[in-house]
Amino acid sequence: MTEIFVLAEHRQGQIRDITFEMLTKGKELAEKTNTDLTAVLLGKDVKEHAKTISEYAKKVFLVEDAKLENFNSEAYQKVLSNLTKEHKPLLTMIGHTSFGVDLAPSLAAALKLPLATDCIDLAFEGETLVITRQMYGGKVNVKAKVRKSESYIVTVRQAAFAAQKPNISGETMEVSSPLTEETTEKRFIEYVSPPPGGVDITAAEVLVGIGRGIKDESNMPMVEELAKALGGVLACSRPIVDKGWLSTDRQVGSSGKTVKPKLYIALGISGAFQHVLGMKNSDLIIAVNKDSNAPIFSFADYGVVDDLFKIAPALKDKIQELKG
Amino acid sequence: MNFELNEEQKEIKRAVREFCEKEFTPELALEFDEKEEFPMALYKKAAKLGFTSMRLPEEYGGQGYGLLEDCIVVEEVCRVDPGLGVAVSLGNLMVPDILLKHGTEEQRKKYIPPLARGEAISAAAFSEPEHGSDITRMDTTAVKSGNEWVVNGSKEFITNAPVADTFIVLCQTDPNATPSHKGQSIFLMEKETPGMEATKLKRKMGIKPCITGSLALSDVKVPKSNLVGELNKGFYYALELFNETRIAVAAQAVGMSQGAFERAFQYAKTRKQFGSPIIKFQGVSFKLADMAIKIEAARMLTRKAAWLFDQGRLDPTATSMAKAFAGRAAMEVTDEAIQVYGGYGYLADYHVERFHRCAKITEIYEGTTEMQKLTIINRLMKTM
Amino acid sequence: MDIIVCVKHVPETAEAEIKIDATGKAIEKTGLVFDINEWDDYALEEAVRIKEKSGGTVTAITVGPEDTDSTLRKCLARGADKAMRLTDPKFQGSDSYAIAKILQSTIKGLSFDLILTGALAGDDGYTMVGPILAELLGIQHATMVKKIEFDDGVAKVNRELEGGLEEKTEVKMPAVLSIQTGINEPRYVSIMGIRKAMKKEIKVLGLADIGLSESEVGETGSWIKVEKIFVPPAEKQAEFIKGSPEEVTTKIAEILKSRGLI
Repeated sequence: MTEIFVLAEHRQGQIRDITFEMLTKGKELAEKTNTDLTAVLLGKDVKEHAKTISEYAKKVFLVEDAKLENFNSEAYQKVLSNLTKEHKPLLTMIGHTSFGVDLAPSLAAALKLPLATDCIDLAFEGETLVITRQMYGGKVNVKAKVRKSESYIVTVRQAAFAAQKPNISGETMEVSSPLTEETTEKRFIEYVSPPPGGVDITAAEVLVGIGRGIKDESNMPMVEELAKALGGVLACSRPIVDKGWLSTDRQVGSSGKTVKPKLYIALGISGAFQHVLGMKNSDLIIAVNKDSNAPIFSFADYGVVDDLFKIAPALKDKIQELKG
Repeated sequence: MNFELNEEQKEIKRAVREFCEKEFTPELALEFDEKEEFPMALYKKAAKLGFTSMRLPEEYGGQGYGLLEDCIVVEEVCRVDPGLGVAVSLGNLMVPDILLKHGTEEQRKKYIPPLARGEAISAAAFSEPEHGSDITRMDTTAVKSGNEWVVNGSKEFITNAPVADTFIVLCQTDPNATPSHKGQSIFLMEKETPGMEATKLKRKMGIKPCITGSLALSDVKVPKSNLVGELNKGFYYALELFNETRIAVAAQAVGMSQGAFERAFQYAKTRKQFGSPIIKFQGVSFKLADMAIKIEAARMLTRKAAWLFDQGRLDPTATSMAKAFAGRAAMEVTDEAIQVYGGYGYLADYHVERFHRCAKITEIYEGTTEMQKLTIINRLMKTM
Repeated sequence: MDIIVCVKHVPETAEAEIKIDATGKAIEKTGLVFDINEWDDYALEEAVRIKEKSGGTVTAITVGPEDTDSTLRKCLARGADKAMRLTDPKFQGSDSYAIAKILQSTIKGLSFDLILTGALAGDDGYTMVGPILAELLGIQHATMVKKIEFDDGVAKVNRELEGGLEEKTEVKMPAVLSIQTGINEPRYVSIMGIRKAMKKEIKVLGLADIGLSESEVGETGSWIKVEKIFVPPAEKQAEFIKGSPEEVTTKIAEILKSRGLI
């Protein structure tokens, strides 16, 4: 019987959520395809992680090596290539994370196995893998067939599946590391933390989130005033940080912070999943966007289809008026 | 015959559009419309990218293109915002053009490169309080005194006067010449020359970021090397310049029309009344179609006039037709744009009223529409 | 340093309304403005900055039909020295894997020290061309790159991780680096740049020129075959507040008040 591989992702001593999300989906797929679910864990001194993960999968392949302490696509690829060649899994699931996108494409190309990235749903129709993913920044979904193969690789979007803890106690099998010589072409050096900023947006009760729709740096004072009137602080989506209008510590989303304020006002944010991931659990979300089809309106409690440059100053005035 | 822009011209259009759409934000447009200030930072940025020196030769720091390419730029800047657009497109008006035609090499080398690079602003002081469109007689006089000319008089409605570094001033040098325009000359003057005083004209109807002013000249001493071209030829030089600037004004009008039209069109697609977008109503959609027709006709006339100019076949009839038609089209199109918006169109925040206010100038400056018609009919009388 | 930048010509959709076309497998392209892919824009800028600092050349390469020339010309106007367009009707339907093969078979014959790509494309978002290209060329790669420094035959890069964290990684050169947005501030196209760009030729190559077989490209050479596209089902739908700014903000204020937020 063949199996479904889930590559466990961990960093700085923590197993990342995507691992459990994939294990949950992987279990469902394994049941449907009558295969076994196997977690693959690479690292150094990660037996504790193996134990945790074994509660989600029937089998855990544990490969320990000092060279696997930190993620390194070169080393990971060698180990996974060997395992894949040996076990011929029906499917290998890797997170569509910064690690995953560094590893999966070159692994797939090296093994000549088809890869589908950033999947938000997966199913087998007969022996064909059918995936759902998004295009155009989440404005449309795509259903696609993956070229028929004995073995498939996918990367899975974060938070696409909810993690559920099953009642399993799997078996950990230690696999010896195939890494003989020191990897020479790619080397992890260190983690770099962003410089600490003055504001902790994760602690704020009210956030005014701004996105691309803000257009110009000269509009920042206007939204700052709104945030101030509401007793909150400014947060933003990625383009604002890219432009240097706010520092990295204000960024909400998969590459920034995850926030859960009492109120999140999204101004000119279209709602690409990377941003939504970081704010969708806010208590109350009000979105202002010119495009009535913007994905943000699928996550907001209230929506205003209008020009933020009209709504934001008017709202600021209204609130100041009410506060006296 | 080819009515399409070539690839290079399309690239120019794309580049200037991208710049303006990012830099001329609606908020900045409103701000400068309100405070009536020249957008110096924006001007310098545009100049650095070459957008303000399209027609100037490369050897003087310009881009070496023709009037047609300049018109493409002018149309785009005015399409994104009429006020900022006009201000940016007129930063170095006329001085380089006249020096290229009639200046000495020394004058060209000294004055054109800083204007091309956006480091200096220029102004052309022709109009006077008593003489607007009629420049055949100047009350401003220049009297020779040794190696200098002494200039006295006053100028009115001078674009850039309060911010300019370099001026050309049209003066009566021979008060006894008949007709009087045969006794006029043009002099270069630098700002802060003793006796020169520029005053800003405030509360214009439109193009407020483009600063207009009056210029008082009292005993201004100008070295004789600052005479441009030949003595007593100033009137003819000035007329020549108008032939170029008029085509650029037509391009301004086309850009303003296009900008207002696009706004109205988008609004009509999204604004719903009685359960459907207002563009579904013929009262609105026919208006939009008429606007599109006028804009296209104005654009074609403008491009034809520019093309003739670039071919060395300057045709004052074509120029005047382009300016008169594009100016009127701009007034009508921007007016209808407000009508499409209804009540909102009457508010500054919705921008189209600014387009309308700005459009009016294109029927006035660089020769009023009536002057254009006079040119057209005079020439037709001669040829038909 | 000789740098190759792989760029893609994509429709600008961040602020545009998207409609699905009659085939149900693609979006309606009419009315959309096409431009260089946003991530590639940063990659190109980074390449030009490296060149300006340390010399060498920048070559922009794209796979696409003739109208992608406008993106290549933009690259030339912004500082690229050469441009190549890989065009063939047989390329149609290629996914990122097939595109990577097309690029690899072209690039393997060129001399280069570094290849830059955007981390992903704003249209399909596959996020895979860079590392596949590297694997096919037999060289190393790094993705999500936010900073590059060079040091004795290696590139030291900062890769963006989740949660605001970055990792510093060293990669042996030549390598493929996939650039994340925000690494720099892309410049505007200048008129001087256009003047230069128009004097340069865009080299066009087809399937036969790059030595691939028909089965390796297009739909047959791809991993992914789109069955249909559709508007995502809403998880929930916001309640829309309508009216003038005054009416809207009054309603919002009421909501905030009822929740004790003001």
